[in-house]
Amino acid sequence: MKDIFYIFRREFYIVFRDRGVLTFFILLTLAYPLIYTYIYSNEVVREIPVAVIDQAQTPLSREFVRRWKASPNVKVVAHCHELEEAKKWMYRKKIYAILELPADFSQNIRRGEQAHVALFCDMGALLNYKALLQTTSDVAMEMGKEIQVEHLPYASRIQQEITASPVNIKEVKLYNPQSGFASFIIPAVLILVIQQSLLLGVGTIAGTARDRNFQHGMIPHSKYYKKAWNIVLGKTCVYLPIYFVMGFWVFWVVPRIFSLTQIGSKVNLMLFLFPFLLACVFFAITLSFISKEREQPFLLFVFTSVPLMFISGISWPKEGIADYWIVFSKIFPSTYGIDGFVKINNMGATLREVLPEYLSLWGLAILYFALACLLFYREILKNRRSMLRCH
Amino acid sequence: MGTLSLIWTLMKREFRRLASRRIYGFMMILAPAFGFLFFTDLLKPGLPMKLPIAVVDEDYTSLSRQLTRSLDAIAQTEVVLRTADFQAARKAMQRGEIYGIFHIPADFRQEVSLGKQPELTFYTNETYLLPSSLVYKSMRLQAALANGAVQQTILLAKGEGGPQLTAKLSPITVDTNPLNNPWISYAIYLASILMPAFVFMFAMFTAAYSISQEMKEKTATEWLQSSEHSIIVALLGKLLPQTLIFMVTGLFYLSILYAYWHFPLNSGFFPMFFAMCLLVLAAQGFGIFATGLMRKTRIAFSACALWGVLSFAVSGFTFPVPAMPPLIRLFSNLFPLRHYYLLYVDQALNGIPVIYSWKPYLALLLFGLLPLLVLPRLKRNLQENRYLS
Repeated sequence: MKDIFYIFRREFYIVFRDRGVLTFFILLTLAYPLIYTYIYSNEVVREIPVAVIDQAQTPLSREFVRRWKASPNVKVVAHCHELEEAKKWMYRKKIYAILELPADFSQNIRRGEQAHVALFCDMGALLNYKALLQTTSDVAMEMGKEIQVEHLPYASRIQQEITASPVNIKEVKLYNPQSGFASFIIPAVLILVIQQSLLLGVGTIAGTARDRNFQHGMIPHSKYYKKAWNIVLGKTCVYLPIYFVMGFWVFWVVPRIFSLTQIGSKVNLMLFLFPFLLACVFFAITLSFISKEREQPFLLFVFTSVPLMFISGISWPKEGIADYWIVFSKIFPSTYGIDGFVKINNMGATLREVLPEYLSLWGLAILYFALACLLFYREILKNRRSMLRCH
Repeated sequence: MGTLSLIWTLMKREFRRLASRRIYGFMMILAPAFGFLFFTDLLKPGLPMKLPIAVVDEDYTSLSRQLTRSLDAIAQTEVVLRTADFQAARKAMQRGEIYGIFHIPADFRQEVSLGKQPELTFYTNETYLLPSSLVYKSMRLQAALANGAVQQTILLAKGEGGPQLTAKLSPITVDTNPLNNPWISYAIYLASILMPAFVFMFAMFTAAYSISQEMKEKTATEWLQSSEHSIIVALLGKLLPQTLIFMVTGLFYLSILYAYWHFPLNSGFFPMFFAMCLLVLAAQGFGIFATGLMRKTRIAFSACALWGVLSFAVSGFTFPVPAMPPLIRLFSNLFPLRHYYLLYVDQALNGIPVIYSWKPYLALLLFGLLPLLVLPRLKRNLQENRYLS
């Protein structure tokens, strides 16, 4: 117990005297979620600049364009006469899509034939395409229905209605009603910020200890550093409370600032996040052994965020990920963290519904605690051997 | 000694240094190669198929079963749960087992035949944006088809038919032309930026790290001496070996994208090759600039890390930059990867005349020239072997 307290006190000074470590533990976790969410704070793509080519120039075609323009997704910045002209606008990035109504548009409708409109879309950003496609087909369906009704002059009003749409269709978007980008990506980013900042911070502590230690070892020659689990627990007692505070900011305050979806119960969330933070701390202590000097955590850990985001099943659906990557993803606390956090926070699941993730996090915490102890045990042995050699 | 032979001597010195530490091999070869292979393997399918959905069938008639079957037949969706209990489907959704629910109400068939306009509802889990948009498309299509099938029956019964039937069912159709990506492949737009982003990040880190190591190991004075106290010669000799290695790494991802995967390369090889080379130079330029500007290594590294990670967001390949707040729109110009993305869209994807892309090319070049601003400062720091952690 005395050992743990000594190690705790020493670690406390290390953390709070090292601006580099504090940058990761405090500044990064404070600022990064804010910047990242701010980037996506508009949530959806609106007012995409586009051009219209109306070759029909009839009341019907103008009506189509008018309704299309009325959508919040579209902002018509140019009316062109031909495709080549509109393409020049596209080359100069003034527009991202072209809507073309052919000359026979109204003629076809009057004849009772199918009319076509063409949508040309720059595929640099898929979200633009999605929004424009939806808008265009909505307008086409809406006008189409009215045309159907007009073409049934003999029927009664209700009959017309029914023939035009015998079945009503309703769509419900759950948990993220406007399909917002921030609401989708930020929960995963928040979890990753916690894990990665711990990796970087603890890695820096380890690297600095090695830089300063004349034998490049992780622990000092001291009578207090004799039991591996005492070292791990002493360190944990410093990191964990810091991350309780930072976790509150990251998981509770940040979503609030940007009014992201937050429908989970606070108690469930806290119960779930406890093993997550614990697993992250032990994970960071374990991985800090590969950081051989102070600068290395940057080189080793920064790039991993992106692959981790992808195998967590948020950016890319799990169904499309090969089994071996799924297995590989299970060794990272972030995978379960993202899964469980999204389910509780965004989908209102209870702890019982995320039991597999919850238990897995406890499993990882135990695993990494054991691994960290093992690695420190080796360091202790190394120290002891070098002591013997000295005497 | 002539300048060229001086640089050559320094290059040999740098090659030896790069070979002497494992961390360089990790940054220049191992980690980028891992990134390339990871994304090559992960995004291989292009579009995810067989996404699980549930059908809540409260009707359970031949009509509703037929609807379920055709929903299952769409390649992108797979009905993994058929139930009459909506609660069960909702719970499965909450557990993340399904991305969508297609709800067929009780007495659906009966109400259709009575002309009572029953309501088909479909729910999507928008927490998972990509799969939900795919199952949304499938379910919307299926609902529209159901509508069409019923209409068709009614119209046929009224004696209308023949070639104009399709026009009756949908008087206006939209012909979509997703330019140069007709497969609407997600792999194309993800991999085309993710892979260069790795090269960018590691080229930047390697440049910053290798310079700070000279100060940390107190070899900077010796390095400057052997370059006859010319900071330009010193930097050229040090960074050219890295430039060459990263260009080879860059060629590796270019060949994965355009030779192995045959992604659209409408500009031909050279515009993208130049874009890649300039990206490497921009990365190194930014790395040296940060090291020269900040006296403390860790702040320089933090700046590099921030730039590397934020690049993924502000380059705008997932969420378009014009839709971001005005401040971020301006800010995005400070990221080399943003300009590389613009070049990729213009050149590889759309293959428009190179003259339209002069701005991003120039921007990348300017990033490469950034070190010129900090040369005196960097030289001073090197002369004093000033390493501040």
